[in-house]
Amino acid sequence: MECQPAHYMRGLPQVIGMKRKYNHPEQPTTGKAYWKSVEDLAHTEHFQRYLEREFPENADEMTKDPLTRRTFLKLMGASLALAGVGLSACRRPEAHLVPYTKTPEWIVAGRYLPYATAHPRRNGAVPLLVSTYDGRPTKIEGNPIHPASKGKTDAYAQASVLDLYDPDRLRFFFKDGIESTQAEFFSALEKLRAEWAKDQGESLAIITEEYLSPTMERLRGDLTRLYPNLTWSTWEPLKPGFTEEALGEAFAVGKTEPRLRLVPDLSKAKVVVSLDHDFLNPSEGGLIGVREFSNRRRALHPGAEMNRLYAAEPRYTLTGAMADHRLRIPASQIGSFLTAIGRELALQGLTGTFATLIDTASKLSLPGQDIDKAVHELAADLKSAGSEGILLVGEHQPANVQALAIAINEALGAIGTTLVPKAALAVPSASLKEVADQAKAGKIKTVIVFGGNPVYNAPADLGFVDLFKKIPNKIHHTLLVNETSKVSNWVVPAAHYLESWGDALAEDGSYLSIQPMILPLYDGLTTVDLLCKLQNLPVPIGPEQVKKTFATWLTNPRNSVTTPEMIAESWEKHVHDGGQGTCQYSWEFQEPMFNPQSLSEFLIKHPIKHSVPSKDNIEIVKAHDYSMDDGRYNNNGWMQEFPDPITKMTWENAALISPTMAKDFDLWSGIKFGPIEGDAGIVTGDVIEITAHGVTITAPVLIVPGHADYSITLPLGYGRTMTGRVGEGSGFDVYPIRTTEAPYFETGATIKKLGHHYRFAVTQDHFSMEGRPLIKEAPKDYFERHPDFVSYTEEPAAFDHGFYNTPPMKAVHEWAMSIDLTTCVGCNACVIACQAENNIPIVGKDQVMRGREMLWIRIDRYFSSPNEKFVQDNQVLPHDPQMIMQPLPCMQCENAPCETVCPVNATVHNEEGLNVMVYNRCIGTRYCSNNCPYKVRHFNYFDFNQRPIANAKSESLFFGTSKLYEGPLAPKGSPETIMLQKNPNVTVRMRGVMEKCTYCVQRLEAAKIDQLDKAGPTPNVMIPTDSVQTACQQACPSDAIIFGNLNDPASKVVGLKKLPHNYSLLAYLNTRPRTTYLARIRNPNPKMPGAEYIGMAQLKELREAELHEHKESKEEKTVPGHAAESTIQPHGGQS
Amino acid sequence: MANVFPKWCNWLPIRLLACGVVLGTTVVVGMSYYFTPKYVSIGYQPVQPIAFDHSIHATQLGLDCRYCHTGVESSEHANIPNSQTCMNCHTQIRKDSPKLTALYDSWRTGQPIHWVRIHQLPDHVYFNHSVHVNRGISCVRCHGNVNHMQVVRQDQPLSMGWCLECHRHPEMQIRPTQFVFNLDWKPGAGFDQEVDGKRLVKEWNVSPPITCAGCHR
Repeated sequence: MECQPAHYMRGLPQVIGMKRKYNHPEQPTTGKAYWKSVEDLAHTEHFQRYLEREFPENADEMTKDPLTRRTFLKLMGASLALAGVGLSACRRPEAHLVPYTKTPEWIVAGRYLPYATAHPRRNGAVPLLVSTYDGRPTKIEGNPIHPASKGKTDAYAQASVLDLYDPDRLRFFFKDGIESTQAEFFSALEKLRAEWAKDQGESLAIITEEYLSPTMERLRGDLTRLYPNLTWSTWEPLKPGFTEEALGEAFAVGKTEPRLRLVPDLSKAKVVVSLDHDFLNPSEGGLIGVREFSNRRRALHPGAEMNRLYAAEPRYTLTGAMADHRLRIPASQIGSFLTAIGRELALQGLTGTFATLIDTASKLSLPGQDIDKAVHELAADLKSAGSEGILLVGEHQPANVQALAIAINEALGAIGTTLVPKAALAVPSASLKEVADQAKAGKIKTVIVFGGNPVYNAPADLGFVDLFKKIPNKIHHTLLVNETSKVSNWVVPAAHYLESWGDALAEDGSYLSIQPMILPLYDGLTTVDLLCKLQNLPVPIGPEQVKKTFATWLTNPRNSVTTPEMIAESWEKHVHDGGQGTCQYSWEFQEPMFNPQSLSEFLIKHPIKHSVPSKDNIEIVKAHDYSMDDGRYNNNGWMQEFPDPITKMTWENAALISPTMAKDFDLWSGIKFGPIEGDAGIVTGDVIEITAHGVTITAPVLIVPGHADYSITLPLGYGRTMTGRVGEGSGFDVYPIRTTEAPYFETGATIKKLGHHYRFAVTQDHFSMEGRPLIKEAPKDYFERHPDFVSYTEEPAAFDHGFYNTPPMKAVHEWAMSIDLTTCVGCNACVIACQAENNIPIVGKDQVMRGREMLWIRIDRYFSSPNEKFVQDNQVLPHDPQMIMQPLPCMQCENAPCETVCPVNATVHNEEGLNVMVYNRCIGTRYCSNNCPYKVRHFNYFDFNQRPIANAKSESLFFGTSKLYEGPLAPKGSPETIMLQKNPNVTVRMRGVMEKCTYCVQRLEAAKIDQLDKAGPTPNVMIPTDSVQTACQQACPSDAIIFGNLNDPASKVVGLKKLPHNYSLLAYLNTRPRTTYLARIRNPNPKMPGAEYIGMAQLKELREAELHEHKESKEEKTVPGHAAESTIQPHGGQS
Repeated sequence: MANVFPKWCNWLPIRLLACGVVLGTTVVVGMSYYFTPKYVSIGYQPVQPIAFDHSIHATQLGLDCRYCHTGVESSEHANIPNSQTCMNCHTQIRKDSPKLTALYDSWRTGQPIHWVRIHQLPDHVYFNHSVHVNRGISCVRCHGNVNHMQVVRQDQPLSMGWCLECHRHPEMQIRPTQFVFNLDWKPGAGFDQEVDGKRLVKEWNVSPPITCAGCHR
């Protein structure tokens, strides 16, 4: 009897025995609406093959190493046989319970204790609440009661806990490279103090980082009174001082106390124009700005008021990604652009000092762009906003550009409303150049460097390295050994901020307290300790010095606090709360007077230069890096593996260029996969030499769509020669090409193609979703007319429910999450927060190249270019795409495709809606990951926690890959301090198990248990409304991620899921995810050129059809076709 | 061809099969009892550094469990008491007892006592004490009558199957919260375990997790 396939049986419906048919929406005929990389857009043959396999083909043969799978199994088989001998596991090993003898106060075993502190940063400290287990900090959160952060953090604050536990931290005092002791150091200081007493400190120079600490400032004052001739210099490579200069000229405030800052208040801004100012990056622009901007951005219903953002920048930044209108302007032309805006504003009737300062003769010329109309409309919009508008210019732009911007803001009326003058801590400090001059003159015999790394990041034209080396006594107080320590005589271990007492000022000037979470791990000294010792004060045992500063501040006549008891009580509260709320530190501050006279003189003396970058006049921009900052996080594993939000590059930096420039200089080989790198989807770049003012550096190139033409972005902070095991060999050093006059951009550079290639570990092509409608966005007016536009690009689900029976979702709590794409800036704070909370390992560069990074939530960055036609032959690439960010945690699908295919039932659904991953059951078939349409599952290919991973350098170790492939032959063991950081409530996964986002199930269970404990013998088991937060939600500075209980009608997430623009990813697959998205709403200015393309990538055809219909039938107002069909809404996780 | 195989080879396959079946069954049955926590763990009674007698302290003196195991109502661990707790009384009582030398040494030097752990769950299990004792499960259910033990031993297997028995039928073990720390209380007059247990489960909205995330995170 012949067996027939089921569907041939007569009479039976075709459904039986057939594979489920999915109606994948067709690709729009104009080409892909959203694309992740140029390769994706080009859809090269190799890329297509790469996509089809969940796990990249030949992943283990990527480097053509001789160790094939077969050889590997042979080796492993042999060692496995040996392991069986011994039978040591027959007897139950004796375990011990070791309590305290005297338990410290407040510690309950198993519960964490949160303490308030702050993360000192150069632009303003971030108020924190740090969770400590058994006296060691494990997770950093924002301090929710402090208005400067409202409980949010950014990626740097989250990653800073790993710096505390860095195994490469300095543990001993070192004198001339030999281990020494604190006592010897102090006696050496004694001798030096005698010398300083003789010449009143003239031979002493002190170089510090920007510390923003009133206690440090007070001690500095005392030290300067003791040694009046000492040279005190504050050196921050990313603070060139242009802003201060501009402010000093624009306002009648000099360099004396108090200094002035202009703090943007974006809660009052309707129109924001950002010229090369990445204020939406919380690390640069601060957390307050992101939050306030997002609050005015959020479009919760059709017709909601939204602010509008214009951005002009040389490279793509997070601000550019959020902007409604973005212009690619090279950094050297930002000044010209600003002048053009000023000219337009003057022509449109705005009066003010600035009008007289505009050079009316110059004309802005940008090759290939029609700028005039854009400037006209931008100016019109800004003018109509008036005091509700704000013009921001990057702090790296020259002082004259920033001064002109201040003048324009003054004319708009922004000063005082959207730009608030505030006092800044004024530290009278010499510049690094002055220190260098003094050193050259031979005046300096002792230099003490507090933190920082001036040998690495000083401007190259100072010749600082040689000058520094020639100084007889060099003392470096540092956390990690770096280039400066290498050449110093004394290297003093520093205490991390989590081990220190101190204070700081937040970005809005408020007064914060820093308290230690743990005693210094290696007996390090804090900066306060060292400053005290320099003045022959005893090293403080506790917070004596900080308390003294606080008492001085408190007993200011403004306060009514007088008695010691009141001071003590206030101090307790100050430390407990982490600060003083919005109370400023500086009491004496008068509103500054705008000084048009001084400003005019300044701008006449320093006119804005106008230059046009071109093929022969290349501009190089030495930019701040998203993961390294100025290089300080070089040895932080999480930061190295942190995918740059724009380029998605990990572990390294690259010279970023635009597609036009790549074409002109034939730097295209990164796009073609071809025979160079086999089938793997590794991004490669041509290596070039960049020469500017006589200095040459070598860099690999990465092509970034949306980059300004003939401008090269060089990210700072890499190429360190003296760093720990993580940072070794990563990237190339940009500091040699940085000078005092041109710390940020310079023109007149040339490049030379060297001919060889470099391979990057870039995550942008990993986990691609093959062009399905993942991002939904619309402009505001379209959203108003079609509130249900998210259904236009969706096919209705084929089936009502799957054949897999999900458990009845009738528990007390039903968890769900809503992510708002309108407010997500893409800062990746959630990514690092998740990594910290869930013990996610880093995997090393070679594994990232194979697509094996372990981050449970990733931010997918998409480009969209509906206005530019893509030509298949790779000769014409989109120049000016838009960018959208989409965070992707596990969708926690109700009909999860991963659950049905697990052969051992290691991933199951619970009654609360979570897709639960059971590590102990998983045997590692990886079928679940294969079946997941969102690609949010991650497999532990190796024992990343115990075996050495590859940093950026180690590409050619054992068998040409990395030590991970040595298996049991590699050294085993995790540095003990790294183990201390792990969250005890989350399993640390070993090799061979799958893992994924769990909605922070440990927090959910803890919240439920707390409520049950409180409830006791009562039925009140539901947790208080919105009382539990996932780690990503807690970190997100713009509140884009909202999580909650669907069964609680008061929960925010319930309301969000009812919004018309709520949609789930790939809804037609009928997975019914609990994580849904709010489509991104843009607010373009309809008069701006290109406005019809903003946010219209997928809706363009529909809009064109609509306009066509409009033209034909003027009475009919319905949208053709779709309004009637869209009765089936995509499931938004509503159970 | 000569007889290559002797005659007894005729019966060999059947004999081998029979032996194999018998052996296999024995191994499986034996392992399913002797290799499980029911046999391996129950009765584990290691020698402790100090011969602490629960029957004296808990029953004779009437100390509440929570006097020493302070974290049990608020934390996942019902912690072993620190030396200070012992010294609360033993600075006065039995000051010079040789049995308590280790305690006095610990108190004097600050070195903690290394108690031998008896009840140990695997690392991938996250058990929380507070939610059990606050919701009507007594210590006696998992630890047996510790209050009468002169040397503590493991009384229950603490295997996953055993935990699930109670999680699936909490009404069989639940008791009014005032009796949770009364290890000698038995459901007697006025409390029928099945009927009243079901009532309490309903009244208090008791729903112990049965899916994996309840204990495995």
